[in-house]
Order: sequence, then C-alpha cells, then structure tokens
Amino acid sequence: MKTSASLEHDYLSTVEREASALPADRRQELLADLAEHIEVTRAERPDAAIGEILAELGDPRTIAATALAETDNGTAGTPARSGAGAPARRGKVHPLIPLLLLTLSLPFIMVFPGEPGPLFGLLFRVTGAILLCTSVHWAAVQKTTGVLLAAVLPSAVIATANLSGGGPAAGTPALLANLATLALMAGTAAWLWRVRRA
Amino acid sequence: MEPGDSTKQARAAAQLRKGVLEYCVLALMRDRPRYGVELLHALEDSGALATSQGTVYPLLSRLRRDDLVTTTWQESASGPPRRYYALTDSGRAALDEFTRVWPGFRNAVDAFLTTPHPSTGDLA
Repeated sequence: MKTSASLEHDYLSTVEREASALPADRRQELLADLAEHIEVTRAERPDAAIGEILAELGDPRTIAATALAETDNGTAGTPARSGAGAPARRGKVHPLIPLLLLTLSLPFIMVFPGEPGPLFGLLFRVTGAILLCTSVHWAAVQKTTGVLLAAVLPSAVIATANLSGGGPAAGTPALLANLATLALMAGTAAWLWRVRRA
Repeated sequence: MEPGDSTKQARAAAQLRKGVLEYCVLALMRDRPRYGVELLHALEDSGALATSQGTVYPLLSRLRRDDLVTTTWQESASGPPRRYYALTDSGRAALDEFTRVWPGFRNAVDAFLTTPHPSTGDLA
C-alpha cells in the first residue's frame, strides 16, 4: 500500500515526464498549480482519498497534452514565450515599398551612371516587381499592368538605349527619353497607389 | 491527443467545450475573484462543461499569460493560501465580446439543427 505522499509524487512525476516538451518555466508552473490543487482539495475534503483526488484531476497525459496545446497554439518546445498575441505579419509589405523601388530605380541609374548604378537600378526594379506581384494590395490585373508599365517597358527602353550605343547619359535625346520613361513609371506608381486595397 | 473509444463518442462535446470553456471560466470571475478549486467545482456542477479537472490549469495559465486574468494569493481560514483569479480589463472586454456574439451564434446553430432546409439567405 503506497502512502498518500508517494501516490501524489508519482502522479506529479508522470505529469512532469509527459510534459517534458513544455518550456521549463511552463512545466514548473503546471506542476505547482496541480500540487496546489491537491493541497487545497485535501484541506477542503479531509476524508477524500488521495486516489480519488488524483482520479478527478485526470490522466496526466491528457493534462500534459492540453498544456502543450495551450502553448502558443502548439509550437511546443520553444524555450521562451514568443510575445503573446503578436500577430504574424508575413507577406504584408507596405504598398509604398514596391512602388518606390520601381520608380526610384531609374533616377538611381541617371544619378549614378557608373558601374554599380545600373546593377542596383536593375535590382531595385526586379525586387519592386516581385514585391508588387506578391503584395496583397492589388488584384492580378493591376499587378500585371503595373509590372508591364513600370518594370518591363522601362527595362526594354533602357536596354535598347544601351544597345544602340548611347547609354543612359548620352546627351539631350537620351535625357528626354529617360524623363519620359520616368514619367511613365511615376504615373504608373501613382495609379497603383490610388487603386490599392487597404 | 489520444483518441480512444470513449473520446470518439464524446468528440462533439469535447470540441464544443474547447471553444467555450475559457469564456465560461471568465464568466465565473465576473462578479468576484475565484480560486482554482472553486472554479473547477462550478464547472463540474454545470454538467456539460465538466472536464478532466487538471486540464483547466493549463487554460488558466494561458489566460494569465494573455493578460485576461490576474492572480493574487489570499490566506484562508482552512488549509493553505489560495491563488485567486480575477478578470483584468481586457479579460472583461473579451467576456463582453463573447456575451455579445454568443446569442447570434447559438441561434444560427439552432436554426441549422432544427430546419431541414435552412434558407440560403445571410445568417449573419
């Protein structure tokens, strides 16, 4: 015949073992809560057998499973609490970011026509296009129009200018072409900004 | 989770309980702070919400972490001090919100269960 103390100890040890995937502080808290419950119940019902009290508490595995399920929606095993209630904001880039990247890619090339300039300009434009396409702020048609007008067409114009030998910094006609392209990109960005979804 | 034969039968009740239990626990604290064993007795007396007692403590722990309840120790005339749970302002707000949406929810479910062909109009 086991003593009350050893029955309680065995029970809490089983909970501790079953809850081993819980963060340590969470596990200790659970054990303290259960120990407190047993102590209070014994004080309130002196005649109740410890076995009865433990049976009412329930299966240690069920308790441990519930505790795991309550731990940040099932991400058990993480050692620290991860900011309770902070909603994940994945994929929610501010709508201004792709528009700025797209529009500024051209002035960037115009200001820095030397070697890193065009490369960064291209990176801006590609990143902007990707962010635009993955954004939640526009419908598919708007995205396609935006990418065509603000990324593909300007890229084609710039590539043509480069191939025809002028380069982005070759005199007044090139500057005019650049400004026209810039106006097109800025106009497209302004339109996208106006039609965006909140 | 270990779905045994008995839990299979009780699945509907368990699913429902999972959704509403925390609000019922919050409701029990509406008028005054309560300690753990006291909360468990009240749930047990309700019948439908009775659950394996030990599983309520992880729930209380989460409510505390989510700042819906606070706890204080109070001495007792009999036995050890008790840890009392009380609603915070956000706990009260969560309870009020649940109280507001529950009747519509309950009526919608009732309508589905009692009407053979529920109207396709909006149920909101």
